[in-house]
Amino acid sequence: MIKSILIFNNQGKPRLTKFYQQVDTAAQQHILQEIHQLLVQRPETDCNFLEGTRLVGGEDTRVIYRHYASLYFVFVVDRAESELGILDLIHTFVECLDRCFENVCELDLIFHFDQVHNILAEMVCGGMVLEPNVNEITSAAKQTNKPGGRRNPTLAAPAMGLGPGLGR
Amino acid sequence: MSMRGLTVFIADIRKCRVRELEEKRINKELANIRAKFKEGKLDGYQRKKYVCKLLYIYILGWDVEFGHTEAVNLICSAKYSEMQIGYLALTLLLTENHEMIRLVVNSLRKDLEDQVEIVNCLALHAIANIGGREMAESLSGDVYRLLIANTSKSFVKKKAALCLLRLFRKHSDVLPAAEWAADILPLMEHPDLGVLISVTSLAMALCQQCPDEYAPCVGRAIYRLHRMVIEKDYPIDYLYYKVPNPWLQVKLLRLLQYYPPSESEDERKMLLRVLQYIIRASQDVPKNQQHSNAQNAVLFEAISLIIHLDADQSLLTEAAHILGNFLGAKETNLRYLGLAAMAHLAAFPDSLAAVKVHLDTILTSLRDKDISVRRRALDLLYSMCDRDNARIIVGELLNYLQVADYNIREEMVLKIAILAEKHAADLSWYVDTILQLIQHAGDHVSDEVWYRVVQIVCNNEDLQEYAARICLRTLSEPICHETALKVGGYILGEFGHLVAEEPNSLPAEQLAILYAKFRIASHPTRALLLNTFFKYANLFPELRDEVASVLRIYTRAIDVELQQRACEYLAILEAGDTELLATICEEMPPFPDRKSALVSRVAREETEDKRTWVLGGWEINRERRETQQQALVLARSMRALENAADLLDLSEDAVVEVPVEEAAVAVSAGREPGAMVLANGRGSAVRANEDGTRTVRLKDDRSFLRLSTQLDGVLFDNPEVCIAIKAEFHPPRGRLAIAYLNRTDIPFQGVKLSVDCEEGLRAQATGLLPVNVAPGEQAQVIYAFRCEQLFSMPPLMHFRYFLGDTWKEHEIRLPISLSRFCEPIHDMTAGDFFSRWKRIGMAVEEANGSGSAACLESQSTFSCVQPVDREHARAAVKGFGFGVLEGVDPNPKNIVGASLVLAGESRIGCLLRLEPNDTQTMFRLTVRTTHAVATEAIADILRPYIEFGSAQEAKLTTK
Repeated sequence: MIKSILIFNNQGKPRLTKFYQQVDTAAQQHILQEIHQLLVQRPETDCNFLEGTRLVGGEDTRVIYRHYASLYFVFVVDRAESELGILDLIHTFVECLDRCFENVCELDLIFHFDQVHNILAEMVCGGMVLEPNVNEITSAAKQTNKPGGRRNPTLAAPAMGLGPGLGR
Repeated sequence: MSMRGLTVFIADIRKCRVRELEEKRINKELANIRAKFKEGKLDGYQRKKYVCKLLYIYILGWDVEFGHTEAVNLICSAKYSEMQIGYLALTLLLTENHEMIRLVVNSLRKDLEDQVEIVNCLALHAIANIGGREMAESLSGDVYRLLIANTSKSFVKKKAALCLLRLFRKHSDVLPAAEWAADILPLMEHPDLGVLISVTSLAMALCQQCPDEYAPCVGRAIYRLHRMVIEKDYPIDYLYYKVPNPWLQVKLLRLLQYYPPSESEDERKMLLRVLQYIIRASQDVPKNQQHSNAQNAVLFEAISLIIHLDADQSLLTEAAHILGNFLGAKETNLRYLGLAAMAHLAAFPDSLAAVKVHLDTILTSLRDKDISVRRRALDLLYSMCDRDNARIIVGELLNYLQVADYNIREEMVLKIAILAEKHAADLSWYVDTILQLIQHAGDHVSDEVWYRVVQIVCNNEDLQEYAARICLRTLSEPICHETALKVGGYILGEFGHLVAEEPNSLPAEQLAILYAKFRIASHPTRALLLNTFFKYANLFPELRDEVASVLRIYTRAIDVELQQRACEYLAILEAGDTELLATICEEMPPFPDRKSALVSRVAREETEDKRTWVLGGWEINRERRETQQQALVLARSMRALENAADLLDLSEDAVVEVPVEEAAVAVSAGREPGAMVLANGRGSAVRANEDGTRTVRLKDDRSFLRLSTQLDGVLFDNPEVCIAIKAEFHPPRGRLAIAYLNRTDIPFQGVKLSVDCEEGLRAQATGLLPVNVAPGEQAQVIYAFRCEQLFSMPPLMHFRYFLGDTWKEHEIRLPISLSRFCEPIHDMTAGDFFSRWKRIGMAVEEANGSGSAACLESQSTFSCVQPVDREHARAAVKGFGFGVLEGVDPNPKNIVGASLVLAGESRIGCLLRLEPNDTQTMFRLTVRTTHAVATEAIADILRPYIEFGSAQEAKLTTK
């Protein structure tokens, strides 16, 4: 199963933390910081998989990650998950974000964290893959995100300047 | 979400460049929010806004300790957007044991029953993310209904499936997984691929617990794979970079790895076609990264399945060939996965040869620039090592150890030590390797490693002379690691005399070499070397004075251990009794032959999904599969037992007398001292507040306590034998089936099983006891019980068998206490209860006044190991055959119960009252019955049961 899903930026600032196991807040942050430490050292040519350290869950845990522009997308999973399958899932997640936010960037994740969680909820549920189909995920997420309107127009301008689009 | 306050707050925080400023801003906001919440009178929008702010603070990594109540208020809101935030807060902030959970359960149930599907989904998602026991117990029914109802939409079904999976994973004991099979299996034919992927995940978890019930999922999985891969029948949306739903394919392929090859010829052929297709498709050159990932994700899982099925040799060869190519791939991911998959291949003897071809490439991977790849290479080398290549692999690993990353050195040392021992063609090589290991990476060598080498040297006479020589040589080097000194010290003390005739190894020289290192060693090592010196004094009389002088110095050592050893040894030497000295210093006897402690250190914990194979070579994997088979056999026979027990009837004609001598032997041998104590104590006043011997013993017997309210379960389990029971009771009669499984690979012979009951309880075996049990087989015997009079101690079972060349014997208490022969009384009024209660109370007072010994009341106050809530306490009382009377006690927290013990023709009324204190950790238990033995028997079993927490573990079983 997927034990946790984390998004943080190059500086290690959390942008999304979702744990599917019972871990208290302090430990969650330790795990995030430890993974950040490990990942920033790795060159882009290294593989996308890392064995979990003791804190993260031990040798049976795999840290599977992708680095997009300023953000790291990290899935911590147990042995029952296929490594490449998870890697594809990260890509699917980013594609969905990209569709929902139209050229997504870090600021979208900050100001619309609730929507990010809703999109994730349509893809992963209780640590298992719920739906891998981008169309299905985005239409479901759009439906639930509808009432409040998606984007705050006053914020669109600075967002453009600060981060290149992800997932391209 | 468009909430101005929130946007401003986020923007504010983003302006904080230092953590201190951020903290200040957050504390200010927290104070503000807290004040607003306290004030109350918030409308939905404001509440939503503040909860959102709290969530943002949480996401940044700060602890949020309040606001749960507001989140709960939000989920009850009529507006969807407010509900949504409420649920988000719930899933992020609540843990499964949070006290708010209880409040939430009702709202969740309401939302599960709601007409609007997206509301159902919110609730399902929250349950799947939190999933505590409380939820499993009270909501699993609703979730299950949503899953199987024909009216449920696909997007509700798939969430319900995963929700159920989550509840099952965490609390499989409260969910009837086996009964679900009939409803869940047909869902694997659901046309929606999203539903299918969720249901497959669910089936995968369920089939690990109930393999027989879910066996039909094999055929369905094969059929779905065939439809998707060969017939290309799938919605176009699910095509991910030219590969149809790779996640689903992976799931289905993995599910099949939990079962042996299908028995149906057609299904096997279909699967073979699918696998061939996947292998062939992998030869296409992928268009881009995403395509290659998806294609290979399926390929790797298919290869795993091919290895697991082990049916088609040509496919296996092809798979091995593809993996071989991956080892040299440019893309790091593929090298990594190739190595990982090869380790799986190496776990099976037939395919090991195909792996060995690539030894050189794998050894190069040990020096890959990516640590993840290096780790996989290490795992693979560990798996593929056998007697032929052990020297090469261990040699390379030793070389690599000197440059390896610090954080994998300890693991490497462990693995080298295991490989060297397991695959040593001659043991001198093993000793050399370990000594080299200590020289190269001494700091990473754990104690287990050097204990093991000492064990092996002591147990192999041919090795001892060589070991002594090589140790002496190692210690003569100017620098040697302390662990080497420990090994050397121990071995020379035992076997130094074997080389004492050789040049440079004369006794005095040996002592000098050790003494040179002794002075700079740590205290524990010095203590060990003092033993060595003392042994020298025995082996070589000419060294006695010299040793004595060293010891004399240490009689004043600051370290207590050193001082004590020195003083004791010196005293023995000065006593001058050579015979005494020789006896004390006799050579250590060989160690009992046991499995290396090292292997168990490497073996890792099981993750939530069971593994289909483990790292560490094919022998381990074969052993593992055999144990699994046995467990399966046991599970099946438990079910067979169930059926058999229902078929037999309770009439006494069908019963055969238990051989009398057996029971007699058991008692006369006095193996059960407690029984004697009891016999004397029966009828006399055992004051309940004193901890009788019985209570002490019953409480220690955890499996007894655990099973004391249950009707079936495993009573005893060790690596040799597993004993399970299944019982049914119709007071005053009962029947117990006892099944025992031979877990060893040697037959059990002369099995003897007898049940030793107190007078009052009669036990009779029905049918004959199988005397021999073949390896992996199991046998069973059924006992009929009849309660003829009151008894206070549950019966004791003696189980004896001849294994190899020794008699093994176990004494196990059977969970049949007097309470098994209770009939619950549910319909007693308060007046009725208390009039009886007082009548017994008066009798007790009278008895006390007159000094009579009979004791009809037992009262004790005790604190529990962990808090026991009312529900569990109630369940415990019910489990012991009492009817729980509601609304009888003026204090609603108290639990009162009543029952009737049926012993032979007599009926004894039993009443009890259980009063918890506020924290649920202290209880006062009062039992009043019309007979002293009954009082004692019931109080003595109920009290430890609640006290030691079995009440928590027990299912809510009622008779």
